[in-house]
Amino acid sequence: MSRLGIFVDRKTMSNAEQLTALIRCRDVAENMGHNAEFLFPVDINRIPHMDALFIRTRTDPMNIAYVAAQMAAFHGIPVIDDPGSIRVCSDKINMYSHLIKKQVSIPRTVFLSKHDLTEKCVTRLFDTLGTPLILKEPSTSFSLRVEKVCDMDTFFHVARRFIKLSDWIVVQQYVESTYDWRIGVLGGRLLYVCKYTIPQETFKIQASVNGHIVYCGVQSVPEHDVPPHVIALGIDAANAIGNGLYGVDIKNSNGDACVIEVNDNPSIESGEDNCYPEVFGQIVTHLLKA
Amino acid sequence: MNKGTGSLFLQQDESTEMAMRSCVPCISYAGIMSPASPENSPPPGKSTSHSTSRRNPALHRDSFIELREGDTRHIISENYAYKTESYYSILRHELDGRTVKPSSSAVLDAYVVPICLERARLAGIPVCEWGISQGYAPSPSILYGLNYFANNAEYCVAGDEMKAKEAVAHLTNRGKYPFCYQKLTHDAAISTCIVVFGKTTGKCRSVEHLARQVYDLFAIPLVTMVTVSNSESIKLSSLSPTRYSQLSPDERTLLNAYLHHQVFL
Repeated sequence: MSRLGIFVDRKTMSNAEQLTALIRCRDVAENMGHNAEFLFPVDINRIPHMDALFIRTRTDPMNIAYVAAQMAAFHGIPVIDDPGSIRVCSDKINMYSHLIKKQVSIPRTVFLSKHDLTEKCVTRLFDTLGTPLILKEPSTSFSLRVEKVCDMDTFFHVARRFIKLSDWIVVQQYVESTYDWRIGVLGGRLLYVCKYTIPQETFKIQASVNGHIVYCGVQSVPEHDVPPHVIALGIDAANAIGNGLYGVDIKNSNGDACVIEVNDNPSIESGEDNCYPEVFGQIVTHLLKA
Repeated sequence: MNKGTGSLFLQQDESTEMAMRSCVPCISYAGIMSPASPENSPPPGKSTSHSTSRRNPALHRDSFIELREGDTRHIISENYAYKTESYYSILRHELDGRTVKPSSSAVLDAYVVPICLERARLAGIPVCEWGISQGYAPSPSILYGLNYFANNAEYCVAGDEMKAKEAVAHLTNRGKYPFCYQKLTHDAAISTCIVVFGKTTGKCRSVEHLARQVYDLFAIPLVTMVTVSNSESIKLSSLSPTRYSQLSPDERTLLNAYLHHQVFL
């Protein structure tokens, strides 16, 4: 019997579905004959006593999840998400740089320094990448600091807001689509596929519209119904980051697929895995196989 | 859509390269342009327009310097924080396959207290015992925030229960974030010490030794070390960034000596 730690932080738990998914994960591990227990931030010193760690809370190099990941890594304990994946995926400049290095298709992308936030530069960006443009603060999650801008004034307004949080920001060509493919990849192999249908009121998978949060629709899709080049691109993108668990977002407009982002710690609580009942079992097996 | 070009940074055409050299702002496609890149960074010690120091004009607020030693690049900065120019400069070198010190993982690890201490402990450096809490702090103890906005230089000392409660409320933004505590003995003394390339000025041998160990592990050229000592031992409590303005004349002279290759790494 192995001991699996599931690291959670109640502060970042936002809905009942997340809790249900955590319990399902624990039940799967226990049905496989393992001892699974939830670990909270105050339990970090217990991580070295685990055989594997599955982090199920918001990850960022500056928060407690990264402490948990490093603690596991220091002691040679298999961990999802590993510290390297957190470092890369939590920072879009780092993440896109890895994708570019491995020649993975992405929208046309520019990294803009705070020193280059000038009228001349911004004009060139609109001239080169077209209108509208997408601006991203590098450490955004759940599309929180992703904005679509159509003119110079809005560009400067948004960019100045983002520059307060990061010395560099991401400027990207806008790729229109009504849905994103989400390709779940574990250890370089396909884990699940779903579609995130973008709400009509916005261009993001989650947004605040008139004070109300609107969420994307989630539809799990069997592998045979997914274009093979989309799956291949998702796996290539995940492999450009590492050997862990990733959710790769892909737009496939007119058959020209491109990766929008690679997420560590992908959500698996809203029906993403309905067509893939073995998802948690595969994760547990992957973590404890060593 | 564009595919990666095979190298991380898109090939600059001649006009763009010229623009970089003349410091005219320009745009890099799918790549990072760092102001500290070899093409457009001022050499160490050269005067810049925002100089605040007569001893070393290059050391102005928020600037960083790249010092080469063979194939290794040392990034000297007063702020290596996540998503800063220094951090991205380090990252760019790593992505390009160059040897750079400190590494991006070292600077992230160094300033998150539990990670710093565990990494140091595993390397044989004496460290304070620590724990993570979301409410209770023992007294006396030294407390550090664990969140995006935490600054290790602003630690709190909880001498009694009342002070501990106040400190916890401050560090956790009233319970929003966890914090790290380190129990203190009643005879403990907390000290801070600036470390320049693993060296200190005017400190005792045990502090010098600790500073060297910390530099060997994290390779951060400029760092402030918080230590807790008593009659028996001296232990590392945390590391934090160091502002150039905090350097004493001796520390500035020491740093200058490195910048001008008068002291070899």
